[in-house]
Amino acid sequence: MSDFWIIVKKELKDLLRDKGLIFGIIVVPLLIYPALGQMMQIGFQQAQEETKIVLVNFDEGDYGSLLIKTLEAAPNVTVTTIEALNLDEALKKAQEEDYNMIVVISKDFSKAIESNQKAQVEIYGIVKGISGGMRESVSEGRVNAVLTVINDYLAKLKIQQSIEGNPDAILRPIDAKSYTVIKGRIVPVPPSLVANIITSQSISMPLVIFVMIIIVAQMSAGSMAMEKENKTLETLLTLPVKRITIVAGKMIGTATIGIIAAVAYMIGMRNYLGSMMSSSGEIGISLEDLGLIATPQGAILFVIIMFLAITFALSFAMLLAVFAEDTKSANTIVSAGIMPMVFPTFILMFADIETLPLAIKYILLALPFSHPILASRAMLMGQYSSMYVSVLYLGILSTVTLLITARFFTTEKLLTAKLRFRRKR
Amino acid sequence: MSAVKVEALEKDYGKVKALKGISFEIKEGEIFGLIGPNGAGKSTTLKILATLLTPTGGRAEVFGHDVVKDGDEVRKLISYLPEEAGAYKNLKGIEYLQFMAKLYAKTGKSYEGMLEVGVKLSGLESRLNDKVSTYSKGMTRKLLLARALMVEPKLAILDEPASGLDIINAYSIRQTIKQFAKEKGITFLVSSHNMLEVEFLCDRVALINEGVIVETGTPKELKEKYEAENLEEVFMSIVGGQQKVGVFG
Repeated sequence: MSDFWIIVKKELKDLLRDKGLIFGIIVVPLLIYPALGQMMQIGFQQAQEETKIVLVNFDEGDYGSLLIKTLEAAPNVTVTTIEALNLDEALKKAQEEDYNMIVVISKDFSKAIESNQKAQVEIYGIVKGISGGMRESVSEGRVNAVLTVINDYLAKLKIQQSIEGNPDAILRPIDAKSYTVIKGRIVPVPPSLVANIITSQSISMPLVIFVMIIIVAQMSAGSMAMEKENKTLETLLTLPVKRITIVAGKMIGTATIGIIAAVAYMIGMRNYLGSMMSSSGEIGISLEDLGLIATPQGAILFVIIMFLAITFALSFAMLLAVFAEDTKSANTIVSAGIMPMVFPTFILMFADIETLPLAIKYILLALPFSHPILASRAMLMGQYSSMYVSVLYLGILSTVTLLITARFFTTEKLLTAKLRFRRKR
Repeated sequence: MSAVKVEALEKDYGKVKALKGISFEIKEGEIFGLIGPNGAGKSTTLKILATLLTPTGGRAEVFGHDVVKDGDEVRKLISYLPEEAGAYKNLKGIEYLQFMAKLYAKTGKSYEGMLEVGVKLSGLESRLNDKVSTYSKGMTRKLLLARALMVEPKLAILDEPASGLDIINAYSIRQTIKQFAKEKGITFLVSSHNMLEVEFLCDRVALINEGVIVETGTPKELKEKYEAENLEEVFMSIVGGQQKVGVFG
């Protein structure tokens, strides 16, 4: 076995046996986020429970009865019609019986409709402390949906009675059909819907990259600082192993654990977000439906860009760890050094880099962590030339950083930088 | 060829001059002691020879290899035990020895042979199967000493080797060092502020104080020269009258 693999193996063994670390970075995200998601799900499920309506009908005409029948026919809705003299009485009854909605049909409801005037229906949602109004919001939506159907039906009926022609066309004279052109192809999907799908991707990608970079950087700096804290560094540096091998071995060892941790975090997060999304409904159109598919060439370029960005993060974090005294200060120094390089890339969640002011565009392009985000889009849009530029830029940047880090390991700075750092403070 | 050759070695930490141009030579197979009070420059000298620190001036060679220019070559010949050292806490004692043996095995020595010596030297027996985090300070020190010696380097650089060990273990480690020098021809550079320990262990010593080597010779020669009963008295008669000496431990 080569020195490199001996060091990688030692690193993995040392980290994987750290119960606190493994619990914190792998078990917690895998358990906590799904648990949070489950709790949200319970909340949503409760909100979806049956709508129980107390109905007070002051109207004596046919339209009041039509509304009641339609409400009764609506799914997940139970209607109890009561005889009440006023709202207070209805309210009292609703609270006694655990109803959550009151619908009051006004006295001249039918008469108003017949005489082409606006008819009045009052809807009351009874919010109870624990539910936070979510159930009432769902219930109101259900009543409103019924009212929309009736409104539409009555409008068409009235048009049919008085004007010749298609009532639907008279009600909505202009019909717009929206299409989107992607990669030169016409897709029969409105641009707003396409934007929704792409936005959900462009928000999740920077988050995924952010989590991965931060975890991997913290792990790598932490492992270096741990050598200082446990006083194993001096021995390690006097072993008959090239310093670059030590740096590379530690990087690969910590990166493996870091990526496992990041994947665990993302699986946990996905479960959490997934449980929220499923209750809000899905668009039902995938990127593939829009013709946004990654080709093998695009996928390979994307993987290379991710690999180079992680290599940069790892070597830069190790370089920063040179100045750390222990694991705590390593975390602080890495946060201070890496965060300013990651946060600006969040602009790319909401903006297209080409539409940004020139100065901001170049600042973002100079930041290594913008490139995986840009590449994730370029991959789907088939813009490979920009991906090749990213590979070249990140390749140069990560090689230079790696060499600088290895150079630091060959000097005494690794042992003495701490002293100078202290004095400066 | 000398095992170690140090010429006018200087080391500054900012404005503090830790070494002020020291020179000494160690012959192959010799046990050489660098003795002096805390802060005298012992650890700095050892760290320069172990390729951890870069000298500000002068030069140092290990078996003809410059410690600055040929760091990689020097590291193949030495084994260094720092004064304050630890082992990887999540590894078992035996795994720590295995890790080290694997890295040194390619230098021509047998992995199994090294491990066998390491297990024996540590004296930790079944406790070698426990994690290092469960070890006492003395047990960790024994493990580290075993690691440093099992690889049978050409030069062993030991900074306060008996630090943290009780009388029995300290005695035992001194016997081992003597035996390794005699039987395996290993050269030892040992630092200590315990002058009695050094007197018993070393063939030759250098007395260092405030970054300057004040005397070199065999313990016998020095005792005769200064008409002293032990090295402690030799040291005090050299520096005691001139300046306030640091606390000895």
